[in-house]
Amino acid sequence: MALRIWASSTANALRLSSATRPHFSPLSRCFSSVLDGLKYANSHEWVKHEGSVATIGITDHAQDHLGEVVFVDLPDTGGSVAKATGFGAVESVKATSDINSPISGEIVEVNTKLSDTPGLINSSPYEDGWMIKVKPSNPSELESLMGAKEYTKFCEEEDAAH
Amino acid sequence: MIVASYSCLSYLIPPWPIRSNSGRRNTSRRAAVSQITSAESNPLVQQTNIRRCNCYDMYKEVIPFSEAWSWQKSIVEKRKTLIDINEDCSDTLIVLQHQPVYTLGTASSENNLNFDIKDPPLPLYQTERGGEVTYHGPGQLLLYPIMNLRFQKMDLHWYMRALEEVVIRVLSSTFSLKASRVDGLTGVWVGDKKLAAIGIRVSKWLTYHGLALNVSTDLSPFSRIIPCGIKDRGVGSIKELLRESNGLSSTSGYHDDNDDDGKLIDIAHESLLKEFCEVFQLELCHQSVSILRSPDK
Repeated sequence: MALRIWASSTANALRLSSATRPHFSPLSRCFSSVLDGLKYANSHEWVKHEGSVATIGITDHAQDHLGEVVFVDLPDTGGSVAKATGFGAVESVKATSDINSPISGEIVEVNTKLSDTPGLINSSPYEDGWMIKVKPSNPSELESLMGAKEYTKFCEEEDAAH
Repeated sequence: MIVASYSCLSYLIPPWPIRSNSGRRNTSRRAAVSQITSAESNPLVQQTNIRRCNCYDMYKEVIPFSEAWSWQKSIVEKRKTLIDINEDCSDTLIVLQHQPVYTLGTASSENNLNFDIKDPPLPLYQTERGGEVTYHGPGQLLLYPIMNLRFQKMDLHWYMRALEEVVIRVLSSTFSLKASRVDGLTGVWVGDKKLAAIGIRVSKWLTYHGLALNVSTDLSPFSRIIPCGIKDRGVGSIKELLRESNGLSSTSGYHDDNDDDGKLIDIAHESLLKEFCEVFQLELCHQSVSILRSPDK
């Protein structure tokens, strides 16, 4: 255990002088924003529930890890999403990643701006970078998601472990 | 990346981080590490828990793209089920060559095709991987790792750099070719020629698709595309570069080279597997390819 703690602090020290290691993920992951009032999934999507509609996107932590998003693949309006199941994909660094829906429901609106400006996900992950709006079919699913404090701690633990 | 050795502080830190064993969630037993011979000799590599990787090795076979794609997707679905019940005990690696084919990634642009997409000169597949158009064909070794990044590092950038590192080590240690990365251009380069292309898909931290290394590939099909969307650089192969460094023209005696091509592929294959195991700290467990081909797989 002591060795691991030593190694961890050494790694942090080395990362701080990572000018010669351009391929590390940016340090800004430690300071990603997490908004109050949203709910979060452990796959790094957020949900904003307002009345009968829930807006879904990926978090600042997620976009920061991905790097520059070059492409977003979103479903059509009228389709449905299921909790913890993929509904689309984002491409960055020649890697395309699934986006999973935190809740189940019917897709009532899709952010069409993302096809021309996928970078909105990076610059404004909680506002202009929203992905889909869903009519929740099972609002109780929201209760099993994390709040802001819990999600912040989750990110810290996940980053510390890697 | 963490190296739990006091000696690391006195080394020039390599651009490639050596993976640590912190954050491991799998309590895999310490298996025999005969494949990881360099761990004993390299003080920068900590003896870690070695994860098992089932290997379907068809490196001399030329497989249709659609078949290999279907195998990958099937394995990914099975692995996701195992992940959900916390029983994902092994990674997977498929090694093979493809029949001539062009493949596109999720964001691929038609502008990078020098032919009509509706009338391609070779089979053309729109896939779910990242990256632009590329060519696959005989003489090119494909590595399709299906890796659970929860047992490595949950960082796509890291994973791409790791795949590049495998090839960089193969090219330098086995072929004495000075290979490098180019910032912003994923892949492995020798000079301004790309020898290995990379494009992956990630789903719940499970990766698939992978990398393609030109060993003795006929490079002419690349002229019908703008490979990976990069206009001002070319594509190369190990064979071509070795010939150049030996002062031979790239087109001399092609028909006499089949034996040499076979040997190059053999050597490259062996080196790829060795470096793959080293970079990802895996132990390969070779599986019968009939498992992939049987209907009830």
